[in-house]
Amino acid sequence: MNTLNNYWLRRVLSSLLVIAVVLSLNFFLFRLMPGDPTGSLLDPRFSPEAKQELLKSYGLDKPLSQQFFMYVKQMLAFRFGISFMSQRPVWQELAERLPNTLLLLFPALLLSAVLGTLLGVAAAKGRGRLTEKAVLLSGAISFSFPSFFVQLVLLLLLAHAFPIFPLRGSLSVPPPTGFWNLVVDRAWHMALPIASLVLLGFGSWALYVRNLMVKVLGEDFILLARAKGLRENEVLWGHAFRTALPPIVTIFFLSLPGVISGAVITETVFSLHGIGKFLLDSVLGHDYPAAGAAFYLMSLVTVICNLLADVVYTFVDPRISFRRLR
Amino acid sequence: MSFWRLDTLFLAFLSLLALLTPLLGPVNEAVAPPFCKPLWLDHESGKPLSLNAKDNSLSFTWESKPPKTFSVKGTVTFEDVPKSASLLLAGPSKTYKLVDLAGYRNFDVDIDSRDVPLKLFLGLSPFVDVSSVIFSERGAYSLFIASDVKAHVDLNLNIYTGKWGIFGTDQRGRDVFRLTLAGIRISLLVGIFATLIASTLGMGLGLFAGYLGGLADSSIMRGVDVLLAIPTLPILVVISGVWGRGLWQIVFVLSIFSWMGTARVVRSLTLSLREAPYVEGLRALGAPTGYILARHFIPEAMPLLLAQMALGVPGAILAEAGLSFLGLSDPLMPSWGRMLHEAQVFGAFTSGAWWLIFPPGLGIASICLAFISVGRRFEEMADPRLREMAER
Repeated sequence: MNTLNNYWLRRVLSSLLVIAVVLSLNFFLFRLMPGDPTGSLLDPRFSPEAKQELLKSYGLDKPLSQQFFMYVKQMLAFRFGISFMSQRPVWQELAERLPNTLLLLFPALLLSAVLGTLLGVAAAKGRGRLTEKAVLLSGAISFSFPSFFVQLVLLLLLAHAFPIFPLRGSLSVPPPTGFWNLVVDRAWHMALPIASLVLLGFGSWALYVRNLMVKVLGEDFILLARAKGLRENEVLWGHAFRTALPPIVTIFFLSLPGVISGAVITETVFSLHGIGKFLLDSVLGHDYPAAGAAFYLMSLVTVICNLLADVVYTFVDPRISFRRLR
Repeated sequence: MSFWRLDTLFLAFLSLLALLTPLLGPVNEAVAPPFCKPLWLDHESGKPLSLNAKDNSLSFTWESKPPKTFSVKGTVTFEDVPKSASLLLAGPSKTYKLVDLAGYRNFDVDIDSRDVPLKLFLGLSPFVDVSSVIFSERGAYSLFIASDVKAHVDLNLNIYTGKWGIFGTDQRGRDVFRLTLAGIRISLLVGIFATLIASTLGMGLGLFAGYLGGLADSSIMRGVDVLLAIPTLPILVVISGVWGRGLWQIVFVLSIFSWMGTARVVRSLTLSLREAPYVEGLRALGAPTGYILARHFIPEAMPLLLAQMALGVPGAILAEAGLSFLGLSDPLMPSWGRMLHEAQVFGAFTSGAWWLIFPPGLGIASICLAFISVGRRFEEMADPRLREMAER
């Protein structure tokens, strides 16, 4: 049991290390920026006293080490300060955008995982057939085509040439009244972004699942299961897929950071009001509190996902606790 | 298995084009009106004309719908100061006086059909399209000078229709074909240099961690874990927003965040090699660590490293394209991501200008596919089992 605790302790410690690195990056990177932090807020005609006052109100007159500890304390308490651009609390801005990002990412990830898994299993079953070739091709395409290009082409086709979907935004302006109208409008706006993410994502999923399944299907216990006279579906899903499940679940969680990265581009292409676009706009607008907070939040989600991947792995793979103990 | 196949030939061809890029001249200059269609796409409007007049008159025929704009540029030198002189453009039924040249010995002509003074001079409203008025008829046109003294002329008449070049023009009137060619260089430079730096870093640290073990190993691998756990694109966005947008900044930032995979692969190879009997023999013979690493480990790791490099290039190219697409690159650097960024920001959609999107997008995809294909072959060379698996 001791080893097991050690393992979890190590995992949690390394997650904390990641957060520490991210926080220090956040702190020092934005302080490397050229210029005076009060420059964007203060008119040059203000007196030096007013400037000192402002520096003091932000705590910028204290030594750097003290500032750093203050900063870490604030970040851990989710107090992100006031955005330079909108003059509103950054937390409010982020909270406003978070649902949009989640509504984009989770359906997309879930759909591409399910579609990719189904196709991957089908490809592994029908080796050398058309399904497998299609899966291999779509995998290669999803590795080499830039996501924004595919999304731009989809926009051009389905929003400009054949205006089925809206060109931009996550809601009509003005938004429709009534709950169901709102839901339908939201779905209509999210359809193209989600579809593009699924299109870009399912290929690598399918490829991964296919490779796993091909390996598993070649093992002896599958031969045994077939020899026992089990139905093909039982062999495929009950035996082979069950064995390949743990790595698939891990990859599901491990792919979340990449998906979050993708949000920056997807939200920019489709002009969605989400965290990714917020990060980009803050960086471009030199809004340091906002940019730092958005980046911190994204890293936090990544770290939590990595931990979750480990936790879930122990549930899906009953061998793991024994292996760690030995 | 021969080295020269479609993918390598394609990459060699692209590298040659990239080397010839300086011959293109300045690509950032406007050559035609914005959002011109490619020549092969538009059959309605006429071919753009570029004519030079050396003697007093220039005749041509215009047989299609009115062009978008036209311009007359150059110098007129009279042998004496003229009392009455003007530059005229005669159409099939009407003659238009473009400029009054009287009273000047040398005259620099610079007329654009979009200029408001020209419209007022012609007695038209400032909101009228001059070229559609003048070229409303089809037939013979001529540009000539009517003056009382002899004139030496060097004038260029450019008539721009809605089409230009092989890929048309972008929102600033730049030639998209030349921009696309120039983009090859940026993509290759960033992809290859970022990967070279990253693989060197990764190989060095991987060898170091694997061979020395202990504290060096655990601290390097902890660093790898931390870097892998930071979401890539957001950190790239933050750093390039803070650091600046030059080509080498992007190369540097990309290489800092892409050495981890190589380090892991090299480390595991080193771990297995370290215990090999021949290495033990070398150590027993008193070979210094540096010698063992340089003469035995690096050559052993080379095929694997080459595969890692070839497979790493598409990642770097895509990351650079993504950053440029988000607007985090030098605006004067004609990269493919930048082209897509501008297409998106400056309304390629509202004008339906799809020819701005396909050349850079397909360019990125084809380079990446070629590198992936080369990388797979390197991988098969490094590990022949993969080839058997592929053939099975």
